Amino acid sequence: MRVSFQEELDQLEATLQEEGSLVLRVLRGSLNALAQRDVELADDVIAFDDDVDEHYLQIEEGIQSLLARQTPVATDLRLVLAMLHTNLHLERMADYSVTIAKLTKLVADVEPDPLLLQSLEEMGERAEEMIRVALDAFANRDLQAAESLVDLDELIDRSNRRFVDRVIEIVGEAGMREWVLRMVLVSRTLERIGDHAVDIGEQVAYLLTAEFREFTDASHPEQHA
Amino acid sequence: MSEMVTMPTMRPVDVAARRDAESQTTRETVFDIQGLQASYGSNVAVKGVDLEIYQNLITAVIGPSGCGKSTFIRCLNRMNDEVPSFRHEGKILYHGIDLYGDGVEPVEVRRRIGMVFQKANPFPKSIYDNVAWAPRVLGLKKNLDERVEKALQGAALWDEVKDRLKRSALGLSGGQQQRLCIARAIAVEPEVLLLDEPASALDPIATQRIEELMHGLKEEYTIVIVTHNMQQAARVADRTAFFSIDSDESGRYGVLVEYDETPKIFTAPSDKRTEDYVTGRFG
Repeated sequence: MRVSFQEELDQLEATLQEEGSLVLRVLRGSLNALAQRDVELADDVIAFDDDVDEHYLQIEEGIQSLLARQTPVATDLRLVLAMLHTNLHLERMADYSVTIAKLTKLVADVEPDPLLLQSLEEMGERAEEMIRVALDAFANRDLQAAESLVDLDELIDRSNRRFVDRVIEIVGEAGMREWVLRMVLVSRTLERIGDHAVDIGEQVAYLLTAEFREFTDASHPEQHA
Repeated sequence: MSEMVTMPTMRPVDVAARRDAESQTTRETVFDIQGLQASYGSNVAVKGVDLEIYQNLITAVIGPSGCGKSTFIRCLNRMNDEVPSFRHEGKILYHGIDLYGDGVEPVEVRRRIGMVFQKANPFPKSIYDNVAWAPRVLGLKKNLDERVEKALQGAALWDEVKDRLKRSALGLSGGQQQRLCIARAIAVEPEVLLLDEPASALDPIATQRIEELMHGLKEEYTIVIVTHNMQQAARVADRTAFFSIDSDESGRYGVLVEYDETPKIFTAPSDKRTEDYVTGRFG
């Protein structure tokens, strides 16, 4: 029944997963550019964002057309809505990666602090891990994996706290102020990528349980999932 | 001001729970159907139906062909009485009174519980006489003009026909004829309107008018609609009952699979069979 409709849904989901792979590549590129002070690579990352945007638009238009023509309901409706949200989260992650690339270009001629760079690389790896978990949880309809994103996010937050401690130590050093301030933005960006991965996890939970649920809630920290 | 202070502590999930609670406000039960089984001869059409229908709501009955949804709705005003082989078991309580109980007059049942059919079936008489027919038969002859006008207004047809009330009803368009049938049904001021696929023979614009009309009518009436158009159920109904087909050694028969608030049926149905049907994966 409704074979073409199912094909369209499958195609959209495949495009979403492709977009996720591109986001991972953009993020890895921006982290490498940062670590190696590679301006050329930073430019590649900025240009590569267009590919992500193309996927983003393709999914938006696909969902718009599907809603207009097919009137999805029940699981199909939840899948479409979850894809709509996830698409936006992925696109934001790519934008954040572009921000890292731009910041990298601004301070490419400054000798970095190795400890801070290490913290950022650590946060970056954790963000990558979270994106992979979020995408796999979506693909495998895995509620447990989706919920595990909260714990992974805590690890990024912890790295971020260590990063801040180090920032306080060196921010007064001559010649480091601009670099450190830019890196605070990079750290904030990586932390936000982690939050978006958690949000994708929430969409997976919605898809599977039909309940709108925030895994963590800043105003109710005691009620973590 | 105090509300503004308390709002931030309300999590989205709490708001959702509170909304659910509000939607389940107790309503008066019009029909309480208990263990209904309806058969034609040895063929069981529906079996084991337990269902409550609430006042001033639109309840949709959906399901595949042969699931017994039309048989079911016809049981609600004893329309099946005319079929010689028809038998039923179980109870249909209408405000606590057994519709098939001793001493219950089918004519009185049909006055209180009106019905409109798939195919508009106006009498070959004037528009006025079509609407006035049932009140006349029931002896409701006082203020007949007013009654006819009120019914035609209730069916959103008055403005279109007020200048040609004496002309034949057969000159009306399909959509107008169907609204005339609704006017005819409400002319005797029933409590319940049963609609058996009322828009399936109409074009989209006429269908939309009927749906808008239903929305207005539920202020005064309790409406039960059988429809094979799932989106119509999703658009108009407060609650939706999904019937499907089951079978055993005695043959195939309709069963009630799931009955819930319409948004629930169309976003997160509880039963796999409902899910498969509403998403088009049935069969």
